Amino acid sequence: MKKRGKGVGIIFYGTGYGNGFPDISKAEAELQDDGKVAIYVGATEVGQGAKTVMTQIAAEALGLKVEDIIFINEDTMVTPDSGTAAASRQSYNTGNAIKKAAEALKALIVDKAVDKMKLNTNIGLKVENGNVFVKTFPSRKISFKEIAEDYKENPLKVEEEFIAQTTEMDEETGQGAPYWPYTFSACGVEIEVDTETGIVEVIDGVLAQDVGKALNPKLVEGQMEGGFAMGMGYGIFENLNLKKGKMKNNSFTNYIIPTALDMPDIKNVIVEDPESTAPYGAKGIGEPVMIPVAPAILNAIHDAIGVRITETPVTPDKILKALK
Amino acid sequence: MKIKEVIKAKDLNEALLSLDKYRDKSKLIAGGTDIVIDLKHKKVLPEVLIDISDVEELSQIKIEESYVEIGAAVTFTKIEKSKKLDNRLKGLKEASRLVGSPQIRNLGTIGGNICNVSPAADTVPPLLALDSIAVVMSVEGKREVPLQELFLDKGKIDLKENELLHSIKFSKLQKNQALGFSKLGLRKALAISRIATSVCIEIDEDNRCKEIRIGSGALGKYGLREKSTEDFIRDKILDENFIEESARFLKSEIEKRLEGRSSKEFKSEAVMGTFKKAIREAIQLIKA
Ligand SMILES: Cc1cc2nc3c(=O)[nH]c(=O)nc-3n(C[C@H](O)[C@H](O)[C@H](O)COP(=O)(O)OP(=O)(O)OC[C@H]3O[C@@H](n4cnc5c(N)ncnc54)[C@H](O)[C@@H]3O)c2cc1C
Repeated sequence: MKKRGKGVGIIFYGTGYGNGFPDISKAEAELQDDGKVAIYVGATEVGQGAKTVMTQIAAEALGLKVEDIIFINEDTMVTPDSGTAAASRQSYNTGNAIKKAAEALKALIVDKAVDKMKLNTNIGLKVENGNVFVKTFPSRKISFKEIAEDYKENPLKVEEEFIAQTTEMDEETGQGAPYWPYTFSACGVEIEVDTETGIVEVIDGVLAQDVGKALNPKLVEGQMEGGFAMGMGYGIFENLNLKKGKMKNNSFTNYIIPTALDMPDIKNVIVEDPESTAPYGAKGIGEPVMIPVAPAILNAIHDAIGVRITETPVTPDKILKALK
Repeated sequence: MKIKEVIKAKDLNEALLSLDKYRDKSKLIAGGTDIVIDLKHKKVLPEVLIDISDVEELSQIKIEESYVEIGAAVTFTKIEKSKKLDNRLKGLKEASRLVGSPQIRNLGTIGGNICNVSPAADTVPPLLALDSIAVVMSVEGKREVPLQELFLDKGKIDLKENELLHSIKFSKLQKNQALGFSKLGLRKALAISRIATSVCIEIDEDNRCKEIRIGSGALGKYGLREKSTEDFIRDKILDENFIEESARFLKSEIEKRLEGRSSKEFKSEAVMGTFKKAIREAIQLIKA
């Protein structure tokens, strides 16, 4: 017999290293010969879209098009340390460092523009599309490229760093506010349990994620879909099968992850509430998107068959045992 | 040892002659979806690979007067899509459709599935339920054996060094006969069967079971017939109550077979589910 059930999972998650651990990202911005700007960060792209979002942040801060940002990361020979692509921290932490570096370079370029255009002050100057100009007198302008000409040997370059505010918890009481910022998410699923074979099928899902501000909504959705799949795999498929410390399921032949056919069409809800300390309001969501999914599925299983299962993954054998 | 030569057989004759020449130094390769992995893991070490994937004589589905013949090099995709195989054989088409992924189904063959002798080979249960005959061939000629007799042990097929599997034959199904199939995999695609059950039945107007054959996958060292359960069901009226009773009978059979194995509890329980799905599907196909 097939039995259906619905379930919800709700979580909050502290992003970044937290608990007083120094959470530092560095970034460099450098004006190129051709007026483009190079950003150097030690942030790793692991498929999450770091390159895209961080390029957007730099472009926004400098008033340039994304095509005019040269984004250099991962090469430790030429990039400063931006910490790990972990703890859902890169957009927030390194994003902030990039924003600071881009803004500092922009201020420097404006100073040089003041000198070159022989102006009295930087008040009332605007920077747009690689030009610095007087707001009330737009033909009085100079391009990034023209400014760069004076620095061919020794390009204009700045380095900035961002350090997240985190405080240590009280060891005795466990009290404190170890993370900054926190993000929130909720997931709802409908599932179907085959009571004869123990197979659980996730047939519908909705995922709502607080993102601060979605710098790139498509990428956020990508993270949400991927997070749902991972949470679902964690809930009902993925099993390392440790036997005496050895991983028995050590290849994708038996370490089962969801395929496209197993994924339901999910509805993504992006919740925006800009975070004041974040680059353009954006918080990290890499991990939060997967966390509420397995609890939602396990709750739905309870709803469907009336049995509470307390161990993941909920494989067919566990369902049949629970039903007995 | 290294592979010294790959022979791409143009026709059956070339395949048979090559096999006769190189014998135990050679291995046949059809879709390669099993053997390439074995080669990589150095589980087999042939000097010569004889590729039969383009041998026309082995790649045909033939519908004769009284029987159906499927060439050993016919792919899963071809079976799944074949218009020659009618809907009463849905169990065989389903088994093919549920193998791996499209890439695997486009390459993998029914002959490779049989000759690899995996307990979880998906097309074996329906072929057993169809009481299939294996047509085996060498330069010396053809011989026919019941499919079940080809299986010696897990991974061991009863073929001589110079023999290949030519095709599989089974009687055409009549109006009151049909084949059902159910697979229990841990996900919807790319899933090795934890259990596969195929049921071929013949029923009369009163739903009385005139004949039944049940093929099981992943419940033994290789695909098996469930003969005592068949005897239990034969000549009985197949109403829902009796189907439940038969499922419980099969369960106790599987419990006996898997005694001492960690999978016993789950598989003996879940086989009731796959069995009921397969038999209900067969009944439905006949009624349709
Ligand atoms: C990712 C993946 C998923 C899979 N999923 C499934 C699945 O869901 N269900 C399933 O049943 N299988 C599955 N398989 C296993 C495999 O695809 C099948 O067993 C397939 O039928 C093998 O056929 P082949 O033509 O590729 O065989 P090959 O690899 O070419 O050959 C297999 C063996 O049979 C021998 N052989 C081949 N043809 C003949 C012949 N005519 N006469 C004598 N010996 C012969 C070969 O020498 C070799 O020893 C999967 C494999 C992979 C890699």
